[in-house]
Amino acid sequence: MAIDYNKEKAQLDQLASDGKPAQELTFESGNEMAAMAAAQINYHIMGYFPITPSTEVAQYLDQMKTRGEHDIVLIPADGEHGSAGICYGAAAGGGRVFNATSANGFLYMIEQLPVQSGTRMPMVMNLVTRAVSGPLDIRGDHSDLYYGLNIGWPIICARDPQAVYDMNVMALRLAEHKDVRLPVIVAYDGFFTSHQKRRVNYFSDRKTVQDFVGELPTGYVNALDPQNPVSIGPHMNDPDLINNHYQLSNAMYNAHDVFAEISAEYEKISGRKYEILDSYRMEDAEVAVFLLNSAAETAKDAADKLREKGIKAGVVSPNMIRPFPTKEIQEALKNVKAVLVGERADSYGGHGANLTHEVKAALQEIKGNETVVLSRVFGLGGREFFIDDADKFFDLAIEAAELGYAKQPFDYYGQNPGEADVTPKRVLEPLYGDAFKTGLIEVKPNEQTGKLDVKVPPLRQLTAKPKRIAPGHGACPGCGIFPGLELFFKGIEGDLVVLFQTGCGYVVSTGYPYSSHKQNFIHNLFQNGSATLSGTVEMFHEMKRRGEIQVSDDFTFVMVTGDGGMDIGMGPAIGTALRNHKMIILEYDNEGYMNTGSQLSYSTPMGHMTSTSGVGKHQSGKRFHHKDTAQLMAATNIPYVFTGVEAFPQDLLKKAAKAQWYAQNVGLVYGKILIACPLNWKSKDELGGSIVETAVNSCFFPLYEVENGITNITYNPEARNKKVDVVEWLKSMGKTSHLTKPGNEAIVQDFRDEVNRRWERLKAKHENEYL
Amino acid sequence: MSVLPIKNEHGFYEIRLESIGGLGANLAGKMLAEAGVLGLGLNGLNFSSYGSEKKGSPVKAFIRFGEPDLQIRDASPVERPHVVGVFHEALYKTVDVVSGLNPDGVVLVNSTRDFDEVRQDLNLEYGTLAIVDALGIAVEEKTKVNTAMLGALFRIVDFLDPEAMRNVIRKTFEKKYPHLVESNIRTFDRGYNEVQFKKYEVPEGAKGKDFERPLPIYGYETQPIGGTVINPGNSILKDLSGSRQGFLPEYHADKCIHCASCDTACPDMCFVWEQGTDKKGRPQMFLSGIDYQYCKGCLKCVTACPVEALTTKREEIGFAEEHRVPQKFILASK
Repeated sequence: MAIDYNKEKAQLDQLASDGKPAQELTFESGNEMAAMAAAQINYHIMGYFPITPSTEVAQYLDQMKTRGEHDIVLIPADGEHGSAGICYGAAAGGGRVFNATSANGFLYMIEQLPVQSGTRMPMVMNLVTRAVSGPLDIRGDHSDLYYGLNIGWPIICARDPQAVYDMNVMALRLAEHKDVRLPVIVAYDGFFTSHQKRRVNYFSDRKTVQDFVGELPTGYVNALDPQNPVSIGPHMNDPDLINNHYQLSNAMYNAHDVFAEISAEYEKISGRKYEILDSYRMEDAEVAVFLLNSAAETAKDAADKLREKGIKAGVVSPNMIRPFPTKEIQEALKNVKAVLVGERADSYGGHGANLTHEVKAALQEIKGNETVVLSRVFGLGGREFFIDDADKFFDLAIEAAELGYAKQPFDYYGQNPGEADVTPKRVLEPLYGDAFKTGLIEVKPNEQTGKLDVKVPPLRQLTAKPKRIAPGHGACPGCGIFPGLELFFKGIEGDLVVLFQTGCGYVVSTGYPYSSHKQNFIHNLFQNGSATLSGTVEMFHEMKRRGEIQVSDDFTFVMVTGDGGMDIGMGPAIGTALRNHKMIILEYDNEGYMNTGSQLSYSTPMGHMTSTSGVGKHQSGKRFHHKDTAQLMAATNIPYVFTGVEAFPQDLLKKAAKAQWYAQNVGLVYGKILIACPLNWKSKDELGGSIVETAVNSCFFPLYEVENGITNITYNPEARNKKVDVVEWLKSMGKTSHLTKPGNEAIVQDFRDEVNRRWERLKAKHENEYL
Repeated sequence: MSVLPIKNEHGFYEIRLESIGGLGANLAGKMLAEAGVLGLGLNGLNFSSYGSEKKGSPVKAFIRFGEPDLQIRDASPVERPHVVGVFHEALYKTVDVVSGLNPDGVVLVNSTRDFDEVRQDLNLEYGTLAIVDALGIAVEEKTKVNTAMLGALFRIVDFLDPEAMRNVIRKTFEKKYPHLVESNIRTFDRGYNEVQFKKYEVPEGAKGKDFERPLPIYGYETQPIGGTVINPGNSILKDLSGSRQGFLPEYHADKCIHCASCDTACPDMCFVWEQGTDKKGRPQMFLSGIDYQYCKGCLKCVTACPVEALTTKREEIGFAEEHRVPQKFILASK
């Protein structure tokens, strides 16, 4: 519900004078209010993985945690599939569980969601709605939400930040109710609701919320009660499954009346009313639009204007879509001449997206009903919905009402044909073959050493070689990604096929209709780039074998990923390594999920500040040590593993040349380049090169290679008398400045010990070829 | 009794801030909105343009005020603002910052130039132009541009209470950074006091700047299926000079040893090389200059240069255009 100040103030005063719980007025976004509700409820566990635009919920909770405002255990998962697993396991443990996600994150966890509803483990998840890829679009529509219609989770909708707070307080009670016992989704619009600040009321005392939610219900199965052992999730055959699902179906329908009860009770303490179906000026409406969430609010303004002109216009908008409010829809629309159902998603080929058909089905049950239903898919990928768009929806409904039928029952709204003479034209002449061959780089196997001998020229000579990436990309000033990648590519001769997993490097180099990639490029979502490129590699070799591709030299295939992609994509990367495809996995490591706003990754070192490892009284940055991805990949026994930084260019060039040889002749190569992120390292733009140099000299990021299983340190700061303490490196970045101050000595010592332990072990491996 | 001096047909007073990521326009927008909503009890809405924009990319922040009892349902961006705040002068090369400005609106620009020049660059026919040297103030006070801009905005949006804003500044800094309180208050006050105005008369019946919602370049009949970019490398057409925040590298060819350290360090492929011959007559590569079209002013190259052939320069208007050495791309023949 939108805020009506006078009413609201009068209500607040009235409530206060009735001795009702006190409320505060604030100015916050939907994500802030979801976090606020979760903190007040004080859930036990949140297992999460960052994805725009829901990520902020975990960030706000982390900030509150650093201030000691709640006790929720925030568990950074390895991906959404993992986060859903954490939440399921935690729910099976019997406590209270919370999560937030969006778009492909939701789809990545969707396999787990019917498991949770089918085994009847309540929790609350906020779905901050966003367009599902592909092509990738980070903004809001409902295409993710529509995948959730069949998973057995009740779905309640929150149309503005106030509703996000209120629905979150009510959702847990709904989930835990004895007649429901299901996990519940609270859905609100990505960006429109998640990021817009509005006036919001919330309960001053968290006890009010906790009293409303009630004590954790007991008497239900859980895995942590030794006195009552249970087997959760046995496999079940055909005679039984239908009965389980019938129970689930009944529980889902029960959620309708249970929500109505909870909502009525909530109104008593909050003064805010949420009907199952939000009906605006529908009493005598002849034309209506049916819309979900924020767009419905915009349409109300349009309806007001039409009413001024004497047109009986109204808006219907469900606050709950699972279970679908059939009765309420019938009641609201039975006398309406025409209704337009606008949907921010499509069910391709279905002649209207899902809710169109549910509205039609509801009306079809009314004998003799003649309401015309129009269906329009609109607002995809975050396309705005202005009042004049709502006007056009009403115009279509008015026309259908007058005609008694719909000229075009289903269509898209807002698409444009383009101008026939404006089509993409080549800008750069394609560069391939000899264009990227300098003849200056020599790689030869040395039979005596079993290693490769490499000769690379000075950098100056390689400036004649064209860059692989075109300028004009949108990376932040001072970004280390492209210096790192280009330096590596300088060491590669001939044609490349690259795949970039989702991450900063991808996003800034391919904003449609632009691309900065001069040679063939593929994107795939960042859990799956290794597997995807391995398919392309095998297709190349098979088509070549069949004589269907004629090329003089093989491509070099490079899968480029950030450190985040090596978290969520670790499984496919290891699978690809074990299959030993002829390709390179190249990781640019900036120690965090920078593309989504600097959340911690497993590569973030201990104590470092990120947006999900805040620094404050109750927390001092990340709690566990950085992941040693190079050693993990080396353990798959692939032919070549290396590390590099731009500050040691000849070292990285040589490794690139070797990487190419191994990837073309033997199998998989993995390399990790540490690159600076001035924005989120909170360091000066111009110092990126020297900061990664200090990281090497502190032995935090040793330069080495593992060639055919044999470790070789390629630069030893001790031998060069360049070794510095880790504090020298920590001093150079804002994200670690707290570590150099009194009170954090123990964390620094722990970090130093770990760095030294790994360095000593590496030296031992360098000394002994069998380690 | 209303505090809002003017309102649009929906009853809103609207502000749009135009900036690049990293200058703090988002935060300034939030503070303006809070001053109206929490300070004056107005109803209000505030958000920023959203996408995958990084630091240095154009961003917008929107503020919509209404009377306390007016419902705000419209979640769409501000298209016809009463006030526009331009945090970054170079933006108007690539963004129509005054798009949709009301005829009696005010546009505030962070600039050191004079009114008529700025007016010409903005294509502003009439309305009030306000200019403040926010960058200069921030440099002198060692504070942030957005605080100086906020000061000027509080002067323009004069129904808001500047004293309340001073309190917010005090509260923000006094706990953790008490030594920054005074300089930030000074920055705010200087923005407030030093902003200059010039009014360009509004002719009778003036309609304000047209606003057109931009359509995508390609439509469903012209966009290649699958969303593929079939002309990759086309990002060379972009101009990124608007990402610079007042500084750029200057190249001194006489000191250069052509070591290519700058080329390795540069994130934006700005260095232009040419084949020549060395003293012994052998072919060799030589640095010929910098393509400032792509330079975002990170100055990594200045740090990397071992011989001071690259130095940091405060950017003056026209310098980059005059000294730019364009990259020699091989352009497609048709």
